[in-house]
Formats: sequence, structure tokens, C-alpha cells
Amino acid sequence: MSYFPWLTILVVLPIFAGSLIFFLPHKGNKIVRWYTIAICLLEFLLMTYAFCYHFQLEDPLIQLKEDSKWIDVFDFHWRLGIDPLSLGSILLTGFITTLATLAAWPVTRNSQLFYFLMLAMYSGQIGLFSSRDLLLFFIMWELELIPVYLLLSMWGGKRRLYSATKFILYTAGGSIFFLIGVLGMGLYGSNEPGLDLERLINQSYPTTWEILLYFGFLIAYAVKLPIIPLHTWLPYTHGEAHYSTCMLLAGILLKMGAYGLIRVNMELLPHAHYLFSPWLVIIGAVQIIYAASTSLGQRNFKKRIAYSSVSHMGFIIIGIGSITNIGLNGAILQILSHGFIGATLFFLAGTACDRMRLVYLEELGGISIPMPKIFTMFSSFSMASLALPGMSGFVAELVVFFGLITSPKFMLMPKMLITFVMAIGMILTPIYLLSMLRQMFYGYKLFHVPNKNFVDSGPRELFLLICIFLPVIGIGIYPDLVLSLSVDRVEVLLSNYYTK
Amino acid sequence: MEHTYQYAWVIPLLPLPVIMSMGFGLFLIPTATKNLRRIWAFPSILLLSIAMVFSLHLSIQQINGSSIYQYLWSWTINNDFSLEFGYLVDPLTSIMLILITTVGILVLIYSDDYMSHDEGYLRFFVYISFFNTSMLGLVTSSNLIQIYFFWELVGMCSYLLIGFWFTRPIAASACQKAFVTNRVGDFGLLLGILGFFWITGSLEFRDLFKIANNWIPNNGINSLLTTLCAFLLFLGAVAKSAQFPLHVWLPDAMEGPTPISALIHAATMVAAGIFLLARLLPLFISLPWIMSFISLIGTITLFLGATLALAQRDIKRSLAYSTMSQLGYMMLALGIGSYQAALFHLITHAYSKALLFLGSGSVIHSMEPLVGYSPDKSQNMVLMGGLRKYVPITRTTFLCGTLSLCGIPPLACFWSKDEILSNSWLYSPFFGIIASFTAGLTAFYMFRIYLLTFDGYLRVHFQNYSSTKEGSLYSISLWGKSISKGVNRDFVLSTMKSGVSFFSQNIPKIPANTRNKIGSFSTPFGAKNTFVYPHETGNTMLFPLLILLLFTLFIGSIGIHFDNGVKDNRILELTILSKWLTPSINLFQENSNSSINSYEFLTNAISSVSLAIFGLFIAYIFYGSAYSFFQNLNFQNSLVKKNPKKSFLDEVKKKIYSWSYNRGYIDFFYTRVFILGIRKLAELTHFFDKGVIDGITNGVGLAGFCIGEEIKYVGGGRISSYLFFFLCYVSLFLFFIP
Repeated sequence: MSYFPWLTILVVLPIFAGSLIFFLPHKGNKIVRWYTIAICLLEFLLMTYAFCYHFQLEDPLIQLKEDSKWIDVFDFHWRLGIDPLSLGSILLTGFITTLATLAAWPVTRNSQLFYFLMLAMYSGQIGLFSSRDLLLFFIMWELELIPVYLLLSMWGGKRRLYSATKFILYTAGGSIFFLIGVLGMGLYGSNEPGLDLERLINQSYPTTWEILLYFGFLIAYAVKLPIIPLHTWLPYTHGEAHYSTCMLLAGILLKMGAYGLIRVNMELLPHAHYLFSPWLVIIGAVQIIYAASTSLGQRNFKKRIAYSSVSHMGFIIIGIGSITNIGLNGAILQILSHGFIGATLFFLAGTACDRMRLVYLEELGGISIPMPKIFTMFSSFSMASLALPGMSGFVAELVVFFGLITSPKFMLMPKMLITFVMAIGMILTPIYLLSMLRQMFYGYKLFHVPNKNFVDSGPRELFLLICIFLPVIGIGIYPDLVLSLSVDRVEVLLSNYYTK
Repeated sequence: MEHTYQYAWVIPLLPLPVIMSMGFGLFLIPTATKNLRRIWAFPSILLLSIAMVFSLHLSIQQINGSSIYQYLWSWTINNDFSLEFGYLVDPLTSIMLILITTVGILVLIYSDDYMSHDEGYLRFFVYISFFNTSMLGLVTSSNLIQIYFFWELVGMCSYLLIGFWFTRPIAASACQKAFVTNRVGDFGLLLGILGFFWITGSLEFRDLFKIANNWIPNNGINSLLTTLCAFLLFLGAVAKSAQFPLHVWLPDAMEGPTPISALIHAATMVAAGIFLLARLLPLFISLPWIMSFISLIGTITLFLGATLALAQRDIKRSLAYSTMSQLGYMMLALGIGSYQAALFHLITHAYSKALLFLGSGSVIHSMEPLVGYSPDKSQNMVLMGGLRKYVPITRTTFLCGTLSLCGIPPLACFWSKDEILSNSWLYSPFFGIIASFTAGLTAFYMFRIYLLTFDGYLRVHFQNYSSTKEGSLYSISLWGKSISKGVNRDFVLSTMKSGVSFFSQNIPKIPANTRNKIGSFSTPFGAKNTFVYPHETGNTMLFPLLILLLFTLFIGSIGIHFDNGVKDNRILELTILSKWLTPSINLFQENSNSSINSYEFLTNAISSVSLAIFGLFIAYIFYGSAYSFFQNLNFQNSLVKKNPKKSFLDEVKKKIYSWSYNRGYIDFFYTRVFILGIRKLAELTHFFDKGVIDGITNGVGLAGFCIGEEIKYVGGGRISSYLFFFLCYVSLFLFFIP
């Protein structure tokens, strides 16, 4: 094994290269665009190369470790390392961010700053998924906020400032609890502060303390994931943001919450998780129904999709809460699958909206004739989102279902009840998705549209859509592609629970 | 022999390459792909024919060897949970394979002509081939998850094909309705699968049967749970096979192109529910409650479907209700445990109904140039009539299909229906009475469709010449429609164009007014095509009709129990099938065996045939000879006009027709309860979300803002205000001190 600092390079490269954007000549957007795409691709390829040749999939332990002291006073280290759990998320990040940069081509206003922010986000996300130090984790978590806030408040829609403020206040409010949790965990017990995740796994706390810590972390993740009732920032944010930002938000940012929930709450605080898991499952089930029925009441189709992604997050929560091998695998699968599907749905909605300049469903109709390709892809991804077999969403949801069914933690009746409620969500999902499709695409041609000459998606958009569609189908037909990544790791993680 | 089985997995995958190349071609290089057009149809038909040859080969081997072959691949690797994918070849599968491939090929050939002028010709072929793939996958599935997988896929294909003409708002809502209703069934199916997985720990059919049979009688506590799970599984079959509470999607599904109605909504996909139950019958048979529930649902459906079919004006919708009713027969047969009769009826009905639908497509095709391309007109039986002169071949085939469905002896459905009827009599007289009565009703409504379509005179032209269209329309409308949107639209038209009040058009003979109205009503086509008559459709469309006619004529022979020479190979197959799967289950096996040569069979046959003929006869009286009918009706109308007191019979008739035309008010009920309920719920949660949850957040924000403003104001830095407050407080202090 070489001791080449792969992860440091992966984390630092985008933001470093991104800051060079400002030194590029001011000759229009073309150079900036290509430069950013090239950086993203380079990063993605580097990532793939590093993981192919320097990472053993069979080994569930942390690999590619790096550890160097940063701040001596309170033992703060630049500690990176990945395991199969974070591998999937990092690859998803690389994939979605690259495509989101491609999707952001129409952005012309102040494009240098825009692309820089996207690259900064790229760094932050990879840093988050690969950090092995709790404080570093927190810093990366916060680093994420600034680019999103700026992207939202500068390139958003009409009410962008309102939604950006809402976003930043919600997340910052959650972060306070996170910080309290980090400090509480780091300062507990020993004389010197220890924030190494590796060491924290073995630490045990009094039950009350553990529950308090768990709760603090949970609030931060609940804002990000989002878990009801802390979800109201999401529809506004998604309704206003540019669609490339939406792709990043839906594809990766929401998954940070789920990742944190697994990484910190499940791994570090097993007792509290064991106690909290029934509540998580109940909240998840309620969330599926609640968000689905709220989605049905939305007139704005971007918000409708936003609520649909809230609804899908319920499956992740249930998967995590079921504390079974299968359920957790399902949750991880759902993280990836929703990363693909949600991001693409927002992209499609954004492109359709840009063309028509209408967002209210009752004003729309009959746009399938001028835009058959968008129609095709929109239907395909709606089908993927409503868990049609053969696509990734189905496998994820099915596996979560099986996880809940086989969970030894729950009694028969609650299990049946929760399964029943989840399955009702399965009926509601097609109702809102298909009625959206019907209102947007089916029916007669529109005559009152401000912009009459629609253009169907061009090659760039098609390329992007097909790029995402292939993994969706691939996972749907052969789920082992992803499951083989996480199976061993999940088993190790859950061995904590079964021994007790 | 073994090696053929090894390659059986190729059957569902065969049509896939064409689908993929067509799909990607359409998506990426649409113009080039569309230019090829009919060239694409050829490979899809060819590949399906290869699949058919393959499945024929398989089923011949099944007949000879009757072995079950199963092969599995693992789908997901997990230590304590593994899903497997595989295929299972047994007699049931091979029968379904043959059925799907034969009907599929004929429908493909047919639709090559039917859809040839359509914009979405290739899209249609992609969808339909994909449907074939998924349906073939469904019947070769070896476990429940795989069934669910393909179950949803055929549902999606059905959704896409119903909404094929997506510019029609009716089609758009119909496809959504179909998908959502089916999803309700899938909900049950999934829960049932999960429940059985929880109970038995396996998803393979054969493990499931073994475990279930050993387990259920012993364990009393879990029998409730098992019954519940079986009920949920049955819910899936109810939705897919359009049984009573969830049948509402099927008539609306007729918005799709007619070949689709023939293939998906008559022959194959709606039979998937029957297939599922047949597959799982060894499981269900040990749950007597569920079995009687199945037969009850089947009985309700067969009766309801028949009554609803009585007064439809749309030719395809009437056929759809008839399909529903026939599926009810199959369900009943399964419920009373006569597995063989159900499958037999499945096969015969599939061919006869496909024939009928394709025939109706041919009729619609020939009517379209006359009345326009709106399904309201081209499928409207009110405007048809007398087509027998213009489309003789279609007429002959349609008549054969009709008679077969009515249960007239030499034709296919007679044999199977008779078996079901006699079995149901043996099971319970209640079911027997309803089933036999419905057999009469079937004959009535089927013959009504035939007579309205082919008998009499062509009413489109008749109205143009003698301008009594309203008369005929109205008089049919008494039979075919009650006060409905059609009349309302006429009402609007009449008030707009010629100022005739609604009531005046009830009197059929006001030539001037009505002529005006008709003129306005049918200007675009009437003016141009006054002398156009319907034409017989092309050979490409007639060929499948004729082949299906052959099937309808002779397929019945496979199930005949006489041993006087008629001994097709597949009689063996069927008996082998029943011997293999249901040795102890088939309660009526001995009975039907004993009736092979006996007097009993003859009496049964005679009674059912006489019922059918009675139905035919009544239909003929009502609708048969056109002139007498209309005169009679006008006479009746005038009587009705003159006598405020209607006779009791008329009252009943009207009730029945309005019940039937309004689809038993079930759709209204669903709209009222479910759709509006869900909308209310959505509004409520939306309000809650916006008002309460977001309101709290905003309130906190607002409070923070207010406090900040307050503090800003207080700490504004104005010395005068500081002095003012200071003095105020000092004076207050001084004031209160003493």
C-alpha cells in the first residue's frame, strides 16, 4: 500500500481548483464552464481510480487512513478515512455534482462565483463523507451551508431571499445542537478531549447522557434529512433554487443527514438508538403518509416533487430504525436511489419550468407534444420514483419492507400496523406523481403560455438524463451492485446491537 | 429434453432486443427510426413467433413428460435474506405461454394495420412488445416477488397504453385511474407477500405450499393472520382482474387503442389475477373462508358486470363489462375449487373476447371515416347498425364470437361455461342460480351488441336522409342511455342552434327542428361524406380475425370430456394439470368425470343452452328487426308521453337501464367518497403544513424580529428618549414611594 494521501487530494482539489476560477480571463462563460467540468471529471476519475486500486471492498474497516495534527490545543486532527459505507456516498457525490455542473450551463450571471461555489460544495461534501474526526465532520457540515446559502440567495427565483434565510436559519439552528453534541461527546469522561470516531465507538456513556447526546444529533440530522416537523425549509428551497442547486440539494445534501444518522447516532450511540428506534420507525411511517398527502395539495410542481422527496426520506428513517441488516441495507440503497431519482426529477422540473415559465399545475397541460423527450424522461423518472420494479426505488423500498418485517425488535401488531401505513404511502405516491404528469403533459395543447416556441431537450440534457437513468435501471435489475458494497460493513455495524 | 427447459428463460427475453433498439431509436434519433416504420413491426412479430414455437415445444414436452422444471439465480446476496430470480415451467405456465404468444402475435399483426396511420405507430409497438415481455415473465415466475415485479410492469404497460393518445383528457384520466386502482391491488399483494414471507420464511411457490399445508391445520393462532394475508393477496387479483369493488378501471381502460383492449384488457393481463389465484390455489384451498369469499366476489362480479353491460352505448365498454362478468365466472370457478374449469374458461374466453374486440376494432375502423375519429362517435352503437351489408367478414366473425360467449354449443365458451355452471350448481344452488341467470343475461347483452351493430339499417345515413336521427337516438337512448351528458349536450346544441326546447325533442317527429340540429351536429362529416358507406377493413386486419375464429371454433375441443374420438393432445394436458396440482383439491373432479358419458351432462347442457337461447330471443325481440322495433318504440314513447302513469314494467326497465348506464352508480360513489376525500385530506394537510408547522417557525422568526426591533428602538441612541424614560421612571418611583 502506498501512503499517498488520496483522500486529502480528493477533498482539497475541487476547492483549490475552484479558487483558480477567479484568475481565469474574463472571456465569457465558456472557459469557466469547461474548466469546471474538467475539474469535476478529473476529481471523479481520480476518485474512481483511487477506489479501484487502493481500496479493498471485502474489508469492512476504515481504509485509506490519514491522520495529521492540526490544532494541538484540543487534539484536533485532520483525520480522514473511508469505509464501504462512505464509499457509496462519495461516488454518488462525484457523479451527481459532475452532472449538476453540466446542468448548470445555462447560468450566465456571475458564472465564476457560481461555479466556484459548486466546487466548494463538492469539497465540503467529500470532506464530510470521508472525515473520521467528529469536529472535522462538524466543520465540513457547516462548510456546506455557505455555498448553498449563496447559491440560493443569488441565483434563485423570486422569493429566493426568503427561502435562503429560512434555509440558513433552520440549518444553523440544527447545527447548534450538533455542536453541543460534538462537544458533549468529546469532553465526556477522559481528561483530554478526544474526537476520534474510532475511539468514540468504544466509549460508553450513562443512559441519560447518551439519550441527550442522541437527541442533539438527531435534531441536526432531522433538519437536514428532513424529518417532520422540521421539513418546511425544503419545499421553499427547492421551489426557488436553480435546478442545478436543487440537484445537489436533493441528491447529496439530504443524504448527509442520513449518513450522519448512521455514522454518528447508530455507530456511536447504540443504546440510545436502540431506545429511540421505535420512535424513528413511527415518525418515518407518519412522514411517508403526511408528506405524500401534503404533496397532493401542492399547486406548484416543484414543491410537489420536494414533498415527494420528503416522503421518500421516510423509508430511510424506517430502514435505519428497524435495526436489521436488511433494513439498513435498504436505507443505504434508498439513499443512493433517491439521490439519482430525486436529483433528476428536480432537473426535469427545472428544465420544463424554464421553458414554460409556469409553475402552477392548473395552468399547465399538453406540453407533451412540443417536448416528447422531456415527457418520456419525466414519466420514466416518475415511475422510478413511485417504485416501479426494475428501477432502483423498488428494490430499496422492498428491502426496507423486508427489513421491517424481519426485525426482531418489534412486536407483531406494531410491525403489521407500520407496514400497513407504509404500504398506504405506496398508494398515495402514484396519485400525486401521476396526477402531476397528467396535469403537465397530457391533454390539449396550451394556448396561453407566455413562451410559445418550446424546444425539446438538447443533447446536453439528454446525455445527463441518460447518465442518471442507466444506474437507476442497473440497480433496479441487479441490486447487488450496491448491496455488495455495504453488506459486510452493515453487519459489523449491527454486531454491536445483536451482542447486547 | 432437459436442455429445452434450460433455455426456457429465453422466452420472456426474446422480444427485448427489438424493444430496446426501437425505444432508444425513438428517443435518440426519432426521425430516422420513424422512417423505417413498418420494418420494425416485422422483427417484433418474428421474435414473438419464435417465443411461441418455443413455448409450443415446451408444452408438448409437458404433455409427454409432465415434469416441473425450476431454475433459480440469486438476485441479491445477503446473509439472512436472499431474493432469487428464476423460472418455473409447469403445465399452467405452458398454457399461459401459448395463450399469450398466440394472441400477442395476432394482435401485433392486426395493429400493424389498425395503427398504421397513427403518429405513434412505433411507440405503440414498443409498448405492446414490452407488455408481452413482462406478461411472459409474469407467467414464468417462480416466486412471489418475481410475480410482483412483473405484475407491476404489466400494470405500467397498461397505464402507458391506456394513455396512448395522451392528448385526450379522458384517456389521461382513464390511465391514471387504472394505475391507481391497480396500485390499490398491488398494495394488498405486497402486504400479502410480506405476510407470507413472515409466516413461512420463504417466497418460493413450492416451499410455500409445503409449509402452508403442514402448518395451517396444526396452528390455530396464526390461522387468522394467514387468512388475512391470503385475503390481501386476493386483493391484488381483485384489482388486476377487475373484480367487484375495484372493477372501475376496466371500462375506462377502453380509451386505449382497440388492439390493446383485445390483448391486455380482455385476453391476457386481466387474466393475471386468475393466473395468480390458480398458481396459489394449493395455498388457498386450505383456507375455506377465503375460498368462499373468492366465490362470493366472483358471483357478485359476474352478475354486476352483466347488468352493467345491458345498456352501454359504447361498443367497447359493453365488451369491457362483459369481460368483467366472464372474469367473475372464472373467479367463481376458482372459489368453488374447480380449477380446471376456471383455466378452461380463461382460455376459451381469451380467444373469443380477443376475437370480439378485434372485430369491434374493425367496425370502429370502418365507421371512423363516416362519423369522425372521436371515440364518442366512432364507438357509439347508436350510430351503427346494418353493418352486415358492408362488412360481411367482420360480421361473421363477430357473430361467432358473440354466440361463443353466449354459450351456444359448438363454440368454445359453451364447453367451459357449462362446466362452471354445473359445478356451481353442485357447490351451492345460490351461486348456481345467479350464474345461470347471468348466462341468460350474457346472451341478451351480447346479442344486443351484435344486433345494434350489424342488424337493421345504418343509422348515420338514415338520420341524414329522413332526419329522424333524434328519434332513433332517443329511442335507443331509452334503451341505451338515460338522461346523461349526451342528451345534455344535445340540449345545449338545440337551444343554441335552433331554439328547440329539451322537451320538444322528445317528440320524435318534428322534422324541421331536428334536421337543423342534425345539420349543425354533423356538419364536418355529414356534408362531405354523405354518400360514404363503411368499408370492410384490409386483409391484414381480417387475417387475425379469421385465425381467432378458428380458435373460437375449435379450442373448445380441448376440454371436452367425451371419449368419442375428439381427443386433442391438450385434454391430456389439462387432466395432467389437474392431476398434478390438484389431486385432493378438485372437489368436482369425480363429478365431472362421472358426467362424461352421462345423462347429467346433457341436461346441464340443455338447460344452459336453453337459457342462452332465451336470452338471445329476448334480445332479438327488443333490438332485432329494426323497423318493428322503432315503431314499437315510437309507439311506446308516445304512450309514455301521453300516459303519465307508466306501466310497472316500463318503470322497472327504466330503473335497470339507468342503473346500468350510470355504471351502477359505483363510479359516482367512488368519486364522491375517495377522490373528494383524498382531496380534502390533501387540502387539510397542506393547510396544516403551511399554517401550523410552518406557522410556528415563521412565528418564532417573527417574534425574534419583533424583539429585535423593540430592542433596536429602545437602544436607539437618542439621548432625549433616554432622558424621557429616565424621568418617567423617576417620577413613577417618586409617585409610588409615599
